[in-house]
Amino acid sequence: MFLSVSNLTKSYHNGITNQVLKGVDRADSGMVEVDGVQVTGLSDDRLVEYRRHSVGFVFQFYNLVPNLTVAENVEVVSNISKKPLKIDEVLSSVGLSDKKNRFPRELSGGEQQRVSIARAIVKNPKLLLCDEPTGALDFETSQGVLSLVQQVNRDFGTTILMITHNSAIAGMAHAVFKIRSGQVVEVTHNSELVPAERIEW
Amino acid sequence: MALNKRVFRMLKGNLWRYLGVLFLIIISSWTYVMVTGLTQNLEHLSTDFAEKHMQEDLYFATDRAILDLNKLEKEANAIIEEYPSLDASLSDSLTLRLLGKTEKINIPAVLEGRNLSAPGEILLDPAFANANGYSVGSQLEAAGKTFTVVGFAALPQYIYPVQGINDLMALPSSFGLGVINHEEFKEIKNADINYSVIFNGNSTSLNQQTVQLRERVQAEGITVSDWIPATSNKRIAIVSTAVSSYEAMSAPLSTAMILLCSLIIGVMTWRMIRRDTVVIGTFYAMGYRKRELMRHYMAVPLMLAFVGGLIGSVLAVPCIAPTIRVVSLSYIMPITDITHSLWSVLVSILMPVTALGLSSYLVIRSVLKRPAAELMKGGKDKSKVGLLERVFKLERFKFGTKFKLREQLRSISRLLFLLLGVTSASALMLFGFMLASSYTEMFKNSTESAYRFEYEYAFKNLQYTEAPEGAEVFNNGRFYPESNEDMEFYIIAIEPGSKFLTLEDVSGNPLSNDRTNITKVLAGRLGIKAGDTVSFINKQDGKKYAFLIDAVADSYVQGIHMPITEFNKMLGYAENSYIGLWSDTKLDIPAGELAGAKTMSEIAASVNEMLKPLITVMAAIILVACVVALIILYLVTSLIIEENRSTISLFKIFGYKRREIKSLVLNSSTYVVLVGFIISIPIMLVSMGALYGYIGSMVNIVLPTIINPLYVFVCFVLIMLTYQLSKLLCARTLNSVSMREALSAGTE
Repeated sequence: MFLSVSNLTKSYHNGITNQVLKGVDRADSGMVEVDGVQVTGLSDDRLVEYRRHSVGFVFQFYNLVPNLTVAENVEVVSNISKKPLKIDEVLSSVGLSDKKNRFPRELSGGEQQRVSIARAIVKNPKLLLCDEPTGALDFETSQGVLSLVQQVNRDFGTTILMITHNSAIAGMAHAVFKIRSGQVVEVTHNSELVPAERIEW
Repeated sequence: MALNKRVFRMLKGNLWRYLGVLFLIIISSWTYVMVTGLTQNLEHLSTDFAEKHMQEDLYFATDRAILDLNKLEKEANAIIEEYPSLDASLSDSLTLRLLGKTEKINIPAVLEGRNLSAPGEILLDPAFANANGYSVGSQLEAAGKTFTVVGFAALPQYIYPVQGINDLMALPSSFGLGVINHEEFKEIKNADINYSVIFNGNSTSLNQQTVQLRERVQAEGITVSDWIPATSNKRIAIVSTAVSSYEAMSAPLSTAMILLCSLIIGVMTWRMIRRDTVVIGTFYAMGYRKRELMRHYMAVPLMLAFVGGLIGSVLAVPCIAPTIRVVSLSYIMPITDITHSLWSVLVSILMPVTALGLSSYLVIRSVLKRPAAELMKGGKDKSKVGLLERVFKLERFKFGTKFKLREQLRSISRLLFLLLGVTSASALMLFGFMLASSYTEMFKNSTESAYRFEYEYAFKNLQYTEAPEGAEVFNNGRFYPESNEDMEFYIIAIEPGSKFLTLEDVSGNPLSNDRTNITKVLAGRLGIKAGDTVSFINKQDGKKYAFLIDAVADSYVQGIHMPITEFNKMLGYAENSYIGLWSDTKLDIPAGELAGAKTMSEIAASVNEMLKPLITVMAAIILVACVVALIILYLVTSLIIEENRSTISLFKIFGYKRREIKSLVLNSSTYVVLVGFIISIPIMLVSMGALYGYIGSMVNIVLPTIINPLYVFVCFVLIMLTYQLSKLLCARTLNSVSMREALSAGTE
């Protein structure tokens, strides 16, 4: 399933992504359930387990560890996963096999985001949370990254929840949730998905 | 000004770190002022004592009195005064050297009580009186006479009252000095005849005058037994030796501490200013000038240096007088006045101000010179990959190892700082332990291992009768190398089958006593090895003798051991003659025949007693070393946390557990701590060897450069415990890093 949540103000954006997606913050009210687990009710230790095994993250600004190589950045997550995918295979799937020994600084923005995606999927998570993954990229690079996200959804069967202000991306998702002032104002279901390469803005 | 408020907030924000640095500056300036005060006052007191109380330039003893002293004085252009002396046994283990009171040279300085005025009165040296419970007014019996103690006195020729000129240390519990009126000696038999000399200044050097005087005395057919210039007389020269060794030991300590502080402050300032780049850029944009900002950022290091230096000095000044009083229990001199040097206080403040100011200035300048636009963008080096990180291929290691290695290799300056810091702290700690090791080893070696007898009796004159059963005979003579008259040592002639002397070579193999063995220390100083034939001059007859050295013995006392028959033959003594006896049991020898008697177990006990203060010094050094290590380790670890906040935050988001993050981030310095500790061992051994060599070139003892492996282990445990403590302190900061930091990274 590819879900898109769009049209958010920044505070809701942060609140929802942090709380829902990552199990980082506590909710003031309401309930969040992921794959039958009530994330809002988990203890700190269980939240660590949840983040460790169930969910992968792709950030707007990549958040790579600057002094680890590409392969090592992926290893950061595979190192603590129960059944991680092979690092080389994951890097190959994001097209970075030849750059595995480079440091983030030596990569372009798009390439850094690809590493971030590789890092997120190496643990083979049930849910992949993408927080404005193209927010810091130009149009062409964004297309490449979105295409990769779509490919992950297709090839690994990972559920993807993407937070974005970019309404053009909505066509890629099976379901689109529009939120305004903390309320879901519109839910759209797409029966036919637009390939990333055809999306324009 | 608003900026000034910020200075105090910066201090408050890192209070413990700045307090640590302040502590180091205080210790360093305290040490400097204290040692300078101590050495300057000791020098001044001893010079003053020597001048006012007419300290001798030379001492000698003869077999008979010089008949025309006036004529000799004129010829030698010197003041010469004769005085009798006798070593009187007060008990089996207590010897009191009675000295006839002199009027022209070595005039006693009465420290307590009054001077001699009537017969039957005695002045005692205060250390002896204190150790054996004599007070002013008490009575003692010596050389068959009863004396009343009328006062305690310091003697210019016995500032450090060792019994034998080559004895390792003064033992007031077994030997002391008593000054009595000249006339008392009329009723005392077997007294020695001694002469003190002060040369009147003229163009010829003191050494030449000394040689000429000896020739004149010998020309009269008089045999000179002792001939000791003040410069090589341990009883006098000890003060200047002590001053030099205090300076030699404390100068590197003080300097190293200041340099370490500069380094720490440099790193802290660098850290602070790097975090402040945006603020600096904004200040520039608002119209602030470089020098205004420089002043702002320099305030913290300068204030710390000034306040630390000042507190250290203020604390040190009142400690000088009591310390001199403690020192004067060993080095007996009148404490006339204690002066304080404003100059040393100024230096102790200016030294840290300059060093810390300079290191901070360089760091601050490197940031302030960058353009405002660049500064406002924040740290441009944020994601810089270090040179070492690229060079080392770390792929083959496990993730944890790789991460920790990268963490350390990331910043060469931080790595060097940690390495240097751990090495200096370990070296400082080892220095404390090594000092104790060296002294213990030296005394154990000379009092317990080599010499196995319980009693040593030295006669005044050569003996020819057969030795009592169970006792062994020995003979000895004082020699010096032709090139260095001041470097005096004993050649001890022993029975070839002696069971009381057990020497070993450096590998621990026993050496035979029917060969000529030189001790390691003397061999080292003279550059002699086994198989060499060397010539030395006998102090007694001034003739040169050649010796074939068979082996080098592992001993820290300077000397040569050889078979007695060979020695007697070489020096022209009767074959069966000897000067002393060694025995396991007490021998019944009339006190009048003896020049001295020693009991080994008592010497060992006194040595142990004297080693106790060393333990306090050692503990103080170790404490300082621990604090240094703690500050540096804490600083580096918190630096690592600071630089890795977003990574730590990210790790938390990814689901890393606390202990996993702790292990990755906090344990990354373990390798460096280990390497730093290991490096410190050879560094310490080499520098202590150099230091001991320097001290050894001034005194006749060379401390062994060794450290007990157990101490190394203890040192290692202490450093590791300090490291654990620093990690414990930092764990709180690590836990406080929020996951939001990574989430908001780059969004500001």
